[in-house]
Amino acid sequence: MTPLIIVDDLTKEFLHAVKKPGLTGSVRHLLRPEYEKKTAVDRISFSIDPGESVAYVGPNGAGKSTTIKMLTGILVPTGGKILVNGVIPYKQRIENAKNIGAVFGQRTQLWWDLPVRESLSLLKAIYEIPEREYKRNLELFTDILNLGEFLHLPARKISLGQRMRADLAASLLHNPKVLYLDEPTIGLDVSVKARIRQFIKQVNQESGTTILLTTHDMEDIEDICKRLLIIDQGRVIFDGELQAVKDAFAQERTIHFEVRAPLHLAEDALHNQFPGAALHIQNEGSHCSIQFNRFHLAAGEIIEFMMKRSDVVDIHIDEPSIELVIRQIYESNLNNQRIIV
Amino acid sequence: MIAKWVKMLLLYVRFMKANLIALLEYRLDMMIMIFSSALIHLLGLVFLWVIYQRVPDINGWGLWEVLVVYAMVYVTEGISSFLFEGSWMMNTLVNKGLLDNFLIRPVSPILQILSSRIGVNGIGNILIGTAILIQAVSHISMHWTIPKIIMAVVLLVSAIIIRSSIKLASNSSVFWTQNPGSSFPFMIHSIGEFAKYPVSIYNTVIQGIVTVVVPFAFVSFYPAAYLFDKEVFRYWGLLTPVVAIYCAIGAVTIFNYGLKRYESAGN
Ligand SMILES: Nc1ncnc2c1ncn2[C@@H]1O[C@H](COP(=O)(O)OP(=O)(O)OP(=O)(O)O)[C@@H](O)[C@H]1O
Ligand SMILES: [Mg+2]
Repeated sequence: MTPLIIVDDLTKEFLHAVKKPGLTGSVRHLLRPEYEKKTAVDRISFSIDPGESVAYVGPNGAGKSTTIKMLTGILVPTGGKILVNGVIPYKQRIENAKNIGAVFGQRTQLWWDLPVRESLSLLKAIYEIPEREYKRNLELFTDILNLGEFLHLPARKISLGQRMRADLAASLLHNPKVLYLDEPTIGLDVSVKARIRQFIKQVNQESGTTILLTTHDMEDIEDICKRLLIIDQGRVIFDGELQAVKDAFAQERTIHFEVRAPLHLAEDALHNQFPGAALHIQNEGSHCSIQFNRFHLAAGEIIEFMMKRSDVVDIHIDEPSIELVIRQIYESNLNNQRIIV
Repeated sequence: MIAKWVKMLLLYVRFMKANLIALLEYRLDMMIMIFSSALIHLLGLVFLWVIYQRVPDINGWGLWEVLVVYAMVYVTEGISSFLFEGSWMMNTLVNKGLLDNFLIRPVSPILQILSSRIGVNGIGNILIGTAILIQAVSHISMHWTIPKIIMAVVLLVSAIIIRSSIKLASNSSVFWTQNPGSSFPFMIHSIGEFAKYPVSIYNTVIQGIVTVVVPFAFVSFYPAAYLFDKEVFRYWGLLTPVVAIYCAIGAVTIFNYGLKRYESAGN
């Protein structure tokens, strides 16, 4: 399969004006402007196959939005190559625009003063969407995203959650091959988030739309994406299956037990049988938890061990959240090297 | 090819209609805009009238002829701002990163910028300008032949193109200045004031500027000189369509060149 998106050694530098503080600083800058170079994206390479759903994550200022702006053709790269569906976005903007949809969570692409329905109908004209396709999509989106209640209102009068749903519909009316989402769930309540995730997943699975998603919400990633691309300071530091990251970094498991009679268990007894496991006893012995590495010990053995020693009322098993895993990766990435799992 | 241009035209009309719908929500503002700009221009008329009370003609141009020049400025400015007022949005679009939206749609960004606003204040200019033009022409004894009428239309269209191109080109400076309050386009715009009067009254430097550097003289004076058969200048008038094409190509080139520098906005 030829990749849909090919990014090779992509670089973007911005010039930031260096101004000394105060009026003299401003005047001096006017006379002899000084700039410093800021490399937002630093020789990034990756490729994405048709139908993939990729999470593009990294700390604030990592260069995620900048990458998406180059992929959509908004920004001209300083160096490197991009090919999206065989088209160079910044050179063949119009050709590229036909293949893509984009949602920037921070900003709407709807017309501020127009009723949402008008905005969508303008997009129909812009993308030359055939009447039947338009009708079908509008009906479908209205149904799933519940647009009906605000289609008649201008964009400036609808809530953030409504706006994001409308923007999502607007970006997909023309059935694009790729959908870029830059923080599509920012500032939304849990139920709107869930609805949006469900919708994106459906678009990915049923229409085969390729998804590149930027977010700081780890649930977005787990819900929608199969692949994880992590960047930091403009460099790709991880690229692989979400499951592989979890296997590599989320090896810790914790089993929580609730027991009927207070538990009297010495840490030594546990260690003798299970070296490397850690025991925590809380609530005067009515609750306890055991932490272990899932590649060294089996949960079953530990549960059996506990069942023999006490009257277990309740059990549940925790795995580290993807959030924790990614935080570990951000934090361990001190020397900015690519992490290999 | 033709289909593409028709599509662009239809989109233009739709965008303008959208602007109008949005604008109608602020009806009072709209009325004020139409009348205030018309009023300012009436003041200019009074000024001309006062001058011609004292002198019968200026450099061989009588009152009614000068009024044609004057009216040409208003009509072309009116039409240009009614249709292409969007150029003035560039500062906001670029500095706030709103151009992003235009760049991810399969339509020329220039078309989207030009149609991003409707200049209702242009209506006032068009009305007053046309009224003056009709009055002035009816006071000038001129032999109107069909070729002359066709030429007059060509000159008018060229004049609108020149004006709109200058507006687009000067506003494209925002790609370089990156200064939210840049006054450069306004400065260029005000050079257009010189074109309200026969350029023969100015010294060569100003004549050079309004002929070559920012060719506002082709919006009003040279076309009028051609129509009224005024000495040397009438030949310049014939150049108007060429200047229009040159300006349009120049403006698009400057815009596209600047667009490569567009940096969007960090959030
Ligand atoms: N328009 C711009 N002009 C100048 N510098 C910019 C611009 N946009 C981004 N940058 C710089 O590039 C770097 C990367 O920014 P970018 O917006 O791509 O980060 P991000 O990964 O999207 O971060 P966040 O998670 O906060 O959205 C930052 O240091 C930022 O200051
Ligand atoms: Mg961002």
